[in-house]
Amino acid sequence: MLVMKNINKIFQTADIQTHALRDFCLQVNEGDFVSVTGPSGSGKTTFLNIAGLLETYTNGEFLLDGEDVGKLNDNGRSRMRNQKIGFIFQSFNLIPDLNLYDNVDVPLRYRGFNAKERKRRIEENLERVGLASRMKHLPSQLSGGQQQRVAIARALATDPRFLLADEPTGNLDSEMAKGVMSLLEEINQQGTTIIMVTHDAELAQRAKRTIQVKDGRVSELEIVASNTDKAIA
Amino acid sequence: MLETGLIIRALARNKIGALLIALQIALTMTIMVNAIFMIQDRQQQMQRDSGLDEANTFYLTNTIFGQDYNIQAQLQTDLHMIRNTPGVVDAIQINAIPLSSSGWSMALQHEPGEDKDAVGTAVYMVDEHAINSMGLELIAGTNFTQEDIELRKDGQSTWPAKTIITKAFAENLYPDDWQSAIGKTVYISQTQPMQIIGIIKALQAPWNGWNGVERSMLVPFHRESKGSYYFIRTEEGQRDALMPAIEKALAESDKERIIRRVTTVEDTRKRSYRQHNATNKILTTVVITLTLITGFGIVGLAIFSINRRTKQIGTRRALGATKGQIMRYFMMENFIISTIGNVIGCIGAVALNMWLVNTFNLSPISFELVAFGVVALFIVGQLAVLYPARKAALIAPATATRTI
Ligand SMILES: Nc1ncnc2c1ncn2[C@@H]1O[C@H](COP(=O)(O)OP(=O)(O)OP(=O)(O)O)[C@@H](O)[C@H]1O
Ligand SMILES: [Mg+2]
Repeated sequence: MLVMKNINKIFQTADIQTHALRDFCLQVNEGDFVSVTGPSGSGKTTFLNIAGLLETYTNGEFLLDGEDVGKLNDNGRSRMRNQKIGFIFQSFNLIPDLNLYDNVDVPLRYRGFNAKERKRRIEENLERVGLASRMKHLPSQLSGGQQQRVAIARALATDPRFLLADEPTGNLDSEMAKGVMSLLEEINQQGTTIIMVTHDAELAQRAKRTIQVKDGRVSELEIVASNTDKAIA
Repeated sequence: MLETGLIIRALARNKIGALLIALQIALTMTIMVNAIFMIQDRQQQMQRDSGLDEANTFYLTNTIFGQDYNIQAQLQTDLHMIRNTPGVVDAIQINAIPLSSSGWSMALQHEPGEDKDAVGTAVYMVDEHAINSMGLELIAGTNFTQEDIELRKDGQSTWPAKTIITKAFAENLYPDDWQSAIGKTVYISQTQPMQIIGIIKALQAPWNGWNGVERSMLVPFHRESKGSYYFIRTEEGQRDALMPAIEKALAESDKERIIRRVTTVEDTRKRSYRQHNATNKILTTVVITLTLITGFGIVGLAIFSINRRTKQIGTRRALGATKGQIMRYFMMENFIISTIGNVIGCIGAVALNMWLVNTFNLSPISFELVAFGVVALFIVGQLAVLYPARKAALIAPATATRTI
């Protein structure tokens, strides 16, 4: 469970202060699939970065699985990211010099799993995203949709409780975007909590729950019916 | 350790930069090890004991231009005067100065005759005061006596019956037992017998680059020659004051000769090894410069590759890498590059050394020196990469989402 209470985030640059999040409150329950929409610059990425422990917040209270994130130091946050959170990025962020197998291996190495366990997890997750046959390929040899699938396999390999995605389909054409979306739905069905930032209203609608961020606040909270059973051609 | 396999595979896809740095490390290693070796070799040469009491000795040249000059009588007068000057320990006439790079050499052989093996040696023509005047140490046998001293005319080809040689020379002539040299007869000028009556601990030949520099012999001669050296030893701290005093006394006592080149043995040593010192300075500069260039090269490559991989590093942080793990990544990467460089460098260092050994007759480098080179370059590499690696570790995890 993710609980944010009155989170504020102020970016302080030389002479400008940007209040990116203002008294941001949100609770995301186990197994949820939350889509986050909102205008550009409203604070969506900031929220996701804080939720994913990539950034610290200025003040407020943030509990992740009951643990007070504010009390963690940099190493503690790194460890928690590695154990509880999986990230998916708009531009995939695969390591270009490593093949798919090694890309998925990266977070597993940080976890310190032994070789056998890593191999099992890598193969299992590449299988899960349908790319087991491409293990020795480099990211540059794949299509965008395939690259995002590898990124999903990499995010899932550590068995995270939360999967955070910032515009995961932003760089994909609509066909590929739909494919990635149904993969995420499938993953959510298997129990992983997902928070996804998107500009695509149609995809946002497919989440179990949609929130809108405006001027650094959750402006609207809309609970929609589970629609994960909608099949995509 | 943690990521070694991944680092190697990622490096393999970006070979050029890494390989260039590895080659630079290899070249540095090759040159560094051999340069240090050459420096050490020269330093050892410079540290060899000349056998002389260098701090308290000096010499001067005595050049006679007068006609019908009684060389023998004046020599006796001069030596008597110098030896009785307060502060002087002793003095001799001598034909050559150790370390001065000019002198006399002969060869001694065990058996008389042509085509017999002979061993080259420096020859110092002196009297029984030599050991005391030069500060030598007689370690076996006896010194010359006054009766042993013969008069030698310029161009004379016969030799006295007795000689004193250095221990190194004795060891060369009698490898099994250098002390057995005492009383033995050896032959000079192929056929003239000479008996070894004493052995001195050390006395270097005038030529520091000669591989027989430790081989010298003392021959009991007073030279009846118009040009010779006086070699003078003073009491501690008296040398500098006595140098002009004796020069003046000699010059004034007899106007038919010139006293010149009043020189300390210390200066002679300095001049003798000036080339050595200069070469060592150059080599040291080369080693330091090369090491710095390599260090900066490592810093440069690391900063370049870290800047290129900013987003990747942010992503690694987002995937759970700690700052320490990011730092270790780049230190490990450098370690791998250094390993390749050092392996090639070891081969290069040994190859260059073999060439030097063959070409310049140097001795082979020691394993310790190669090991030192390896360790030194690993340390240089790790130190050089420390700052870039720290920079990498400070890249914010949010870079993963904030950069395109
Ligand atoms: N590192 C930073 N330093 C200063 N200001 C920042 C920084 N990151 C974000 N901001 C500001 O914070 C506000 C929220 O940014 P954020 O990236 O969260 O918006 P967003 O909703 O993700 O926008 P988009 O839809 O364009 O991605 C913006 O005004 C942005 O300029
Ligand atoms: Mg954004």
